[in-house]
Amino acid sequence: MRTKQTVLMLCLLAAALPVAAFDLGNIDWKKAAETVQKVQKANADINEEQEIGLGEGVASNLLGAAPLLDNAEVQRYVNRIGRWLTLQTERPNLPWLFGVLDDDDVNAFATPGGNVFITKGLLARMHSEAELAGVLAHEISHVLRKHHLQAIKKGAQAGLLSDLANDVIKQQGADPRLSKLVSAGTEVYARGLDKNDEYEADRMGVVIAARGGYDPYGLPAMLQTLQALNPNDSSLALMFKTHPALGDRLERLDQLMSSAFARLEGQPDLAARFATELGARK
Amino acid sequence: MSRLFLFCVLLGFASAPWAADFARTIRVTELKAKPYSDAQTLESLAPRSRVEVLKRQSGWTQVKTAASTGWVKMLSLQLETAAQNKRGDSGLGALFNVASTGRSGSTVTTGVRGLSEEQLKNAKPDAQALQAAKRNAVSPQEARQFAAEGKLQAQSVGYLNGVQP
Repeated sequence: MRTKQTVLMLCLLAAALPVAAFDLGNIDWKKAAETVQKVQKANADINEEQEIGLGEGVASNLLGAAPLLDNAEVQRYVNRIGRWLTLQTERPNLPWLFGVLDDDDVNAFATPGGNVFITKGLLARMHSEAELAGVLAHEISHVLRKHHLQAIKKGAQAGLLSDLANDVIKQQGADPRLSKLVSAGTEVYARGLDKNDEYEADRMGVVIAARGGYDPYGLPAMLQTLQALNPNDSSLALMFKTHPALGDRLERLDQLMSSAFARLEGQPDLAARFATELGARK
Repeated sequence: MSRLFLFCVLLGFASAPWAADFARTIRVTELKAKPYSDAQTLESLAPRSRVEVLKRQSGWTQVKTAASTGWVKMLSLQLETAAQNKRGDSGLGALFNVASTGRSGSTVTTGVRGLSEEQLKNAKPDAQALQAAKRNAVSPQEARQFAAEGKLQAQSVGYLNGVQP
């Protein structure tokens, strides 16, 4: 079946070549075959349903690494903020889900399809709802721009992804190819994204938080707090390894925000609600 | 017991988590009388000036110098590294039982749950936990209601610098 497709594509490719190239002896068949492979790979586009399925697999893995914090009030609070923020974006209808992981590491994660997790260790270092909103908005931006999905695609074995795109892999059940892709996907979180993806999520995050009516300086305030932590603390190790230097991130935000956000500086940070909601924990 | 605990947490907030923290300016920085750009300039601070941090208000931080108290752009400051995470802990740390002592030097044990690089690579899926997490998801209506309770008002703000949705 695949061979048939390849032959067909080679024929189409040949037909597309300039007339002079119809002397078959002149065609570089190796190069043509490579081109076909590239085209096939590029066509292996994942639809939204598959993005969600893959993202749930990765989310399930992350929850295998660190459990959910056992506190429904805190989980619900974070979900309310997060869901409100997603309503200000271009993908409001994804099955957005937010969760606090019961782990002292300082970190946050987003998986394709709209699953966002932050650690208890990060939450404990925040001072206001605007800071929490800023961090969630950064993670939401990764989902909007499909940063992790692209990274997974880039790293995936050729074939695996086109199988998924062609719906060969069943979403449910223990298909070894899907679990392979999911575990490859989970490794992206150990490796980190491209620096530019992180900068982009920062500059989108402050905008999304501002659209939600929050003080837009929540995210930079959080980053500034992290900058003042002891960099040798092991709870920061993975976050530092997988993200650009905090000084660089803050400098870029400073340049972008200094004039554009002056009119939004009066927006609330809801520090009091943050204290009450998290203080309500028994 | 829990009431006393809540009181302590709130007290922690009220007593300004920024108190007795210091920062240095990262560039020439104007100290303003009020937290906005066209307010009166009290002093011009040289780069690397050490100031005491009082509080933050949006993009501005209130600081104390030897001569005066005023406001500087928040992002003109770099906070000093806090000893033993003191600065970074908002007071919620105790609430969540986050160890305040550094964990530097701890060894990674493969197979034990956690979010280190090695542990992530070896993570086993927990589908039940995902189902449990989904029970906390909220509807757009509930999210809007929650925003209204906090008097949050949606704003129209365009993405910055080359981001195209």
